[in-house]
Amino acid sequence: MPQIDLNLLLEVFKYNAKDPLQSITITFLFIFTGFLFIYQFISSNITFKRIALIVFSFFFYYKAAGEFLGLLILTALISWVIGNQVRKYESLNIKRLLVFAGVILNLGALGYFKYTNFIIDAYNKIASAEVAALDIIQPLGISFFVFKALSYIFDNYYEYLEEKVSVQDFLLYMSFFPSILAGPIDRTGEFVPQIKRTEPLTQAEMGVAVGFLISGLVKKVLISDYISLNYLDRVFQDPLRYTGAENVIASYGYAIRIYCDFSGYTDIALGLALLLGFRLMDNFNAPYQAVSVADFWRRWHISLSSWLQTYLFAPMQMSLRNLKIYGNAIAVLVTFGLCGLWHGANYNFIIWGALHGLFMAVSLLTAGVRKSLIKKTGLEGKPVLKFIRIFITFHLVTIAWVFFATETPQHALDVFSQIFGYLQPEVFGQFITEGYPTVFVLIILGFVIAFFPQSKSDFYKTWLGKMPLPLQALVLAVFIYLAAQVQFADMVPFIYFKF
Amino acid sequence: MISDRLKTTILNHLDLEDYDIQDETKANTVPGWDSLSHANVILSIEKEYGVRFKSIEILKCKNIGDLQKLIDSKTK
Repeated sequence: MPQIDLNLLLEVFKYNAKDPLQSITITFLFIFTGFLFIYQFISSNITFKRIALIVFSFFFYYKAAGEFLGLLILTALISWVIGNQVRKYESLNIKRLLVFAGVILNLGALGYFKYTNFIIDAYNKIASAEVAALDIIQPLGISFFVFKALSYIFDNYYEYLEEKVSVQDFLLYMSFFPSILAGPIDRTGEFVPQIKRTEPLTQAEMGVAVGFLISGLVKKVLISDYISLNYLDRVFQDPLRYTGAENVIASYGYAIRIYCDFSGYTDIALGLALLLGFRLMDNFNAPYQAVSVADFWRRWHISLSSWLQTYLFAPMQMSLRNLKIYGNAIAVLVTFGLCGLWHGANYNFIIWGALHGLFMAVSLLTAGVRKSLIKKTGLEGKPVLKFIRIFITFHLVTIAWVFFATETPQHALDVFSQIFGYLQPEVFGQFITEGYPTVFVLIILGFVIAFFPQSKSDFYKTWLGKMPLPLQALVLAVFIYLAAQVQFADMVPFIYFKF
Repeated sequence: MISDRLKTTILNHLDLEDYDIQDETKANTVPGWDSLSHANVILSIEKEYGVRFKSIEILKCKNIGDLQKLIDSKTK
């Protein structure tokens, strides 16, 4: 009889700092499939379903982030209590005091783990001091779960929530494993009512879930990981070693990479959640087809941009409304400066956010001039105008991404200096034919996905929905197998995990 | 029920000839009324009625019906 090594089996359930669990590994898929099998039998009973999801979510976060599970639970409990107190009190002053306490506690935790060493470094530079950096590890997903916790407090303050949320439901909302590490940043009011759903998934819904998983694997594993490892990372580490032409391709490639990486990961999160009967918030809506930078932010990382819009921009804009258009411009600049900072304690992220704020502020202040210019040229309402606007928006966004892609402002400036000072256009041809044909083809594939007509972009989900379940499972298995073949020895960490 | 006066103020501000505005209509579904123009629409309404809203009163409004109730409460 074969001996089962119990210690080895126990390892599967223990946190290993050297090998944290991620949601797109084969290990996870095995564990998830096992969970899904049990879940099918219990999900018709809301209590069992809730307990199973909370236990599995806690287990998943523990496997991914170890003892920080305690921080997640503590954040959830404190924010739940504060949110409920905000709801209970009539006095606006008491409500405000409670919201203030909730914001300080949540942002205090986020600030400590994420920005302490950045502040020490900035202080050392300004004051020529030598304060030693602290040994702080950033808990995975903290930027996401802190924002979820805050949204509960704010939703109670603005009376957006119709019903009080129970502590079990709130713990599940905060820890729900498909979205715990990198969003979408759901809202309690949209998530919690879905816990009560008991009817099984329809065949069409199953098709959508499988479609999300497949599109996630293609975008994340096939396109994003491959072009990063094989090309982009090398260029952005040392742009001066490459010609301007190679830097141009890397810049366009990065626009595709970050879209495929993040929207691919989101698709996997949406697919996993849907298999459990939950529809999470949409996070992407063909962002590169946006006709302005403001429109881009209505289509890119929607769960974050709508969070910032609801809880930061709108209150600020309302208090500054007497300044009219300037009040708007100030609110936009502050919101996007902070949006950059949210992405990480790094000057490049702040510059990236500030650039977006600047693009939008300029757009606001020049709206009148542009409107009359468009009228004069007779372009109003013509398809070519839409094309021009998409073209300009995509390029502004791509220029800003260069700061996101590189480590320091100098690296980003190096990319531009190579493009404008050492282009070497003949390298474009060599790149395609000799240098990196596969990378080139994958970037083109990424462009096709990003610019595919929106009205037809869900065609494969409809096809899958018409297939019988075993066939859907088979198609998914084939794609998982292909993705595993494409993957290198080690999985590339998802960009948004570090935020 | 949305009053003609509120409807006209909104339509004039947004440069719209006509648009069906009901109690349940959400601001962001009205053409031209987006997150960026929101504060200016509110300013026009405040000017028209000679009132001043608190920020939280505006932020609490879920639809234009709520906005109408807020105006009514200020102009009684």
